[in-house]
Amino acid sequence: MPQAAISNNFDAEAARALDTSSKRGAQYADIRFEVARSEHIEVRNGVVTGLADSTTRGYGIRALVDGAWGFAASSDLEGAGIDRTAARAVEIARAAAEGVNHLVASAPQQVYNDRFVSLLERDPAHVPLETRVALLLEAEQLLHTDSRITAGRAWIELWRTDKAFYSTIGSRIEQTLYQSGSGLQAIAAAEGDMQMRTFPGDIGLYAAGGWEVIERAKLRENAARIAEEAVLLLRAPQCPSGLMDVILGGSQMSLQIHESCGHPAELDRVMGWEANFSGVSFLELSQLGKLKYGSGIVTIVVDNTLPEGLATVGYDDEGSKSIRSDIIRDGMLVGYEMSNDTARAIGRSSNACVRAQGWEFVPMIRMCNLNLLPGTTPFEGLFEDIKEGVYMESNRSWSIDDHRLNFQFGCQIAWEIRDGKRGRMLKNPTYGGITPQFWNSCDAIADRESWVPWGTPHCGKGEPIQIGRTAQCASPARFRNVRVGVGYNE
Amino acid sequence: MDRKAREEIAHHILSLSKADQTEVVVASEDAAWSRFTQNAIHQNLGSANVTASIRTIVDNRSGVAQTNVLDAKVLKETVRRAITMAELAPRDPAQPALPARSHYDTPEGAFSYATAAATAHHRAQLCEDIFESARSHNFWSAGYVKTSEGGITIVNSNGAQASFDGTDAAINVKMNAADSSGYAEGYSPDVSTFSASEIAQKSAAKAAASKAPRTVRPGEWTVILEPAAFGELFSCIIRHFSAQSVDEGSSFLCDELNRKCVGSNVTVWDDFAHPLAPSMPFDFEGAPTQRVALIRDGVAAGYVTDSYWAAKMDRANTGHALPAPNTMGPLPLHTVVEAGTKPIEQLIAETERGLLVSRFWYLRPVDERRTIVTGMTRDGTFLIEDGGVTRGVRNLRFNQSVLDALRSCEFSDTQSRTSSYAYSTVVPSVKIERFSFTSETEF
Repeated sequence: MPQAAISNNFDAEAARALDTSSKRGAQYADIRFEVARSEHIEVRNGVVTGLADSTTRGYGIRALVDGAWGFAASSDLEGAGIDRTAARAVEIARAAAEGVNHLVASAPQQVYNDRFVSLLERDPAHVPLETRVALLLEAEQLLHTDSRITAGRAWIELWRTDKAFYSTIGSRIEQTLYQSGSGLQAIAAAEGDMQMRTFPGDIGLYAAGGWEVIERAKLRENAARIAEEAVLLLRAPQCPSGLMDVILGGSQMSLQIHESCGHPAELDRVMGWEANFSGVSFLELSQLGKLKYGSGIVTIVVDNTLPEGLATVGYDDEGSKSIRSDIIRDGMLVGYEMSNDTARAIGRSSNACVRAQGWEFVPMIRMCNLNLLPGTTPFEGLFEDIKEGVYMESNRSWSIDDHRLNFQFGCQIAWEIRDGKRGRMLKNPTYGGITPQFWNSCDAIADRESWVPWGTPHCGKGEPIQIGRTAQCASPARFRNVRVGVGYNE
Repeated sequence: MDRKAREEIAHHILSLSKADQTEVVVASEDAAWSRFTQNAIHQNLGSANVTASIRTIVDNRSGVAQTNVLDAKVLKETVRRAITMAELAPRDPAQPALPARSHYDTPEGAFSYATAAATAHHRAQLCEDIFESARSHNFWSAGYVKTSEGGITIVNSNGAQASFDGTDAAINVKMNAADSSGYAEGYSPDVSTFSASEIAQKSAAKAAASKAPRTVRPGEWTVILEPAAFGELFSCIIRHFSAQSVDEGSSFLCDELNRKCVGSNVTVWDDFAHPLAPSMPFDFEGAPTQRVALIRDGVAAGYVTDSYWAAKMDRANTGHALPAPNTMGPLPLHTVVEAGTKPIEQLIAETERGLLVSRFWYLRPVDERRTIVTGMTRDGTFLIEDGGVTRGVRNLRFNQSVLDALRSCEFSDTQSRTSSYAYSTVVPSVKIERFSFTSETEF
């Protein structure tokens, strides 16, 4: 990890920016400094194809003028640069405020002075780079069990982000966030077919923390099995089509929660703020407290205090304190992921779901840690009363409409289920449905023994596109009468 | 930051390195976006940044370090980190030398002073033009107006030096009616070429025409995809034209190179100099970018390389490297599908029964090797009956092989640039027979 000597104390710069913003006419302003350090290591077919670290430092200023927000960001920390950026934020806000019509925004009310440091057991900076590279070289080499493995990949991503938030109402919040992840991928190709397996899950294991997250992934211990599965898939029979019972593995449940609950429950989508690109949501305000989103065993909460959650922070990027709140309670829609402005619009308070990709991006509502609470059935118990069905694991393909209703997902691997027993391996499994119908067909969720906080490190939203880090805690679950085989017309 | 300042910083960084070979990339960007919804601006932003990326090669080992903190102490430390990382990396015998100095011809029209000078008030006025159009139909609009300028300078210890400055502007307008929506877009380096009102009116006309949408049954349909839809569909297979994808067996070119893979009327180039999308004439290693035929008269004609893959596969370097560290391999980022001979109106008039698609959403590969893609229609899907557009229909999901689609297709005579965060391409509209829709949704 880069350890360049870059100051993280921005008190003087913040005071100047907020003062300039106020003098230029902002009724409220805040400034968020970030020093983000990252390291990416990747090995492909025995070659280190990526070995890079990066440091980016800058700040973003939000200015509120007559009910309209302006945002300007810069890496220029000289006094004149700060003045110029603050003036630009105010000018941008004023340009919107002078329009015939603008959405009426308001300043946050809560003041915090605090420091937050995320979970960390072993700082990756204290693990020699040779060790980090050696782990990947060894794990990747273990993927090459068969000549049909045409590509093996292994990767590590490490992030440390230092943030400092200041506002004209007196907030001063410092945060240090550690996030880490790693994974493996084996690609097998032969006879015109290509199959792949990744591990853990479909994108690796990502969580808040340091080197302990990398060790928890157990890449070396699982590489040979993953490669063998990729090769076996080449000759495996095609997953059948039809209505049948389905068990989704934990990482696929993470994706299912992310796409069909996490995104539609973002209140900015519900209010049309993402209509052009990411879309709107079927979870309309008129449905709050009324929509039976899922079966009675489905409870989904947003919890940005979960220590190992990839999206965990002490405070969000508009200075609201992290809390836990319900989105789906016993199957009923009861809440949203909210910002200060959107929460106020529906008479609620923010649940701290505002994030920006970095200092140069405007903060907006993001899915954070969204958790499906575990059930009571042991994992193997999910299979017991399935006469004919499919167990699918690890996502390969995902698509959902711009209201978040019609979805189609594909997995990397599946196994036939007959008379309560897991049978032969199947390739190219796909399934689809309509979101609330699907979640209402959920009749069993595995217990806490298989509950994992799956991090999603690269979630896209917004214009310009911002990449967010989210998490979905999930255990495997069972769904009845699901449309299977929808991606293949044969 | 202007070109001279970037080049000074780049050469200063280069002088700090004692590695066997060193490459320095200095990139600057100032971008501003006015996003709107419900006929009001709700996210209004401007952002400026300058970054330096340093790649060092020591005894066939490479490392990369990046920073946007450009003071002398941090730059020196960043060079040291890049060298340290290279020294710790395993030796790669296939590591080629960095490109030497070359000649580049910058395409005309890549930089617009009007775009570079655009202010927040200018963007707000364009938004107001859109809102006025929306209000006149009693619709609400959502989208954005964007202007940006940026520059890049690449220097290396083998003498290469390449600089490019460009601008870009974009307008996206989604018009929302009670039970329908429409979409229109414009992209250009020059913001002064846009009429926000015209784009808004086009989007509004689609929203109006698709009101009270009817459900149609999924199945095989004749479709006419407008450029926004076809561009997104075609972008799903650009990775197939990468040397890395061919090497690892995930590209259809593994079986089809130099063979007829689609209809004889299909020709696709990667062309950085196309007048609708003029771009930088070199890649992120500073190698000159070549105009590459990907599909010519229906035959799979080639794929792109960078210095690493050119050396590894004993082919010419086509100059399609991505920024280091690049684990994706080279990519054709400026694809151009050649136009046909008929106006889109004629393609519609010659269709007895079909669907006209304005835009797709959330396209993802289902089966990479077979080029099967799934996705949804959105923002204006229409029924064509007896050669005319008759009404709007509810949105549908498709599962379709892109290659199969291009085996029986016909292109319109006019190309447009279309773009998203992941791609930019120049395409005509296309008529495709037997396009496979597999399910419907509720709107």
